[in-house]
Amino acid sequence: MKPFVIGVGVTKFGELWDISPRNLVKEAVTQALADSGITISEIDAVFVGNMLSGVLGNQENLGALYNDELGLKGVPAFKIEGACASGGLAFHNALNSILANKYKTCLVIGVEKMTDHKPEEITNALMAAAHEEERTAGLTFPGLYAILARAYCKKYKITEKDLASVSVESHYHAALNPKAQFPFKVTLKQVMESNYIADPLKLLECSPISDGAAALIVAGFDGKKMKRGVEVIASEVATDSLGLSGRNDLTTLKSTVLAAKKAYEQAKIVPSDVDVAEVHDCFSIAQVLALEDLGFFKKGTSLKEVIKGKIRLGSGAPVVNPSGGLKACGHPIGASGVKQIVEITIQLRGEAGKRQVEGAKIGLTHNVGGSGAIAIVNLLKI
Amino acid sequence: MSISPVKIWRHQKIISSLLKRKGKIISWTIVRTPPAGYEQEAPYPVVLVKLDDGLRFVGQLVDWEEKDLKFGKKVEAVYRRIIKPDPEGIIPYGIKFRPL
Repeated sequence: MKPFVIGVGVTKFGELWDISPRNLVKEAVTQALADSGITISEIDAVFVGNMLSGVLGNQENLGALYNDELGLKGVPAFKIEGACASGGLAFHNALNSILANKYKTCLVIGVEKMTDHKPEEITNALMAAAHEEERTAGLTFPGLYAILARAYCKKYKITEKDLASVSVESHYHAALNPKAQFPFKVTLKQVMESNYIADPLKLLECSPISDGAAALIVAGFDGKKMKRGVEVIASEVATDSLGLSGRNDLTTLKSTVLAAKKAYEQAKIVPSDVDVAEVHDCFSIAQVLALEDLGFFKKGTSLKEVIKGKIRLGSGAPVVNPSGGLKACGHPIGASGVKQIVEITIQLRGEAGKRQVEGAKIGLTHNVGGSGAIAIVNLLKI
Repeated sequence: MSISPVKIWRHQKIISSLLKRKGKIISWTIVRTPPAGYEQEAPYPVVLVKLDDGLRFVGQLVDWEEKDLKFGKKVEAVYRRIIKPDPEGIIPYGIKFRPL
């Protein structure tokens, strides 16, 4: 039994005040079904990745809700939550159920509706992913990653300007993605002149508050390879301490290291085999840690490589975040992990248009929940 | 931040075990976009502290000046009000740090 992603869909990401979460999901699922060529009656189970519907909108029971909306009454459905990794974890659970021969064809949905609410309420809601001690301290997610950034910059003698260069790359790619929240370039000067959110992180180093949905269909096949399917060759999850106080090393996310190691072993590949990657860049420092923890660059060296264009379309090996990443494509929490797989699927099929990574054969997605409390790494190939 | 009197009561043991303990700043930030409930305090520094016995803990830094925000700065755990409560609510207290 081999699992394949056979259809994908994603909405525009952004501040979508006039679209309800139901309609966002419907749009993404309609695209994914049309892309796969299967009918909705062939769906055996539904997995929904979402973090904030309860705490922000007082709406839980999303499995039943979206099945009702999609005309899937009677079909089993599950909401999966793992903070910002909710989408990736929903995919992982769908995959496991296929590998266990429980279901053959699963619909995976990632969705978040954030901009209906005030920024302070959203900041507060997101802190549900953190440790109680960190909430009491009045920390925020920019604050938690700022603490990591401060430690990293000291250890490897990195300047704020070096760190800011990551966002320039994200926006370069997003400018080629019509679905991105910010489909335009930014300059290093603009990043450096943006206001501090949590020192040393500035506004243009932080992923935005976004609405959006992504959907995909994953199915198990025996024997011959699917015609348009992208094979999932590994999906591994690992955890770490919930809060930063539980970490001895603030310059790495151990959950990423562990999940990546297991995934590479499972797929029998090495990091340099990856042609294209979508990594969890909720903040500039998050991308830096990801590039090193995933094994693309040695610890302390990734910013040098980023500045040389080593993750950019055309010159990158691998090309990282061709969608624009969480930073520039947008970060509707539960949708992000699913969107990453959607992007990699499109890339491996060679259908990414202007942002196509030429000849991409192996792709990676990396989705993190909390400040590294949980991470998932998926490997896909064509 | 929702305030539960039961939870505050349960946490008293942890809080009292940390009071007056000393340590050093190992990283920090200044929060400028606070969560709901913390607006009045912003911007405020939050420090990650390695206490003398090796335990790590995060908390706000109070009575601070710019020069206190540096690696290795000695601090002490103190008891402070965390946020302004509702008029009829319980006042939540907890651990913060002050520079030494």
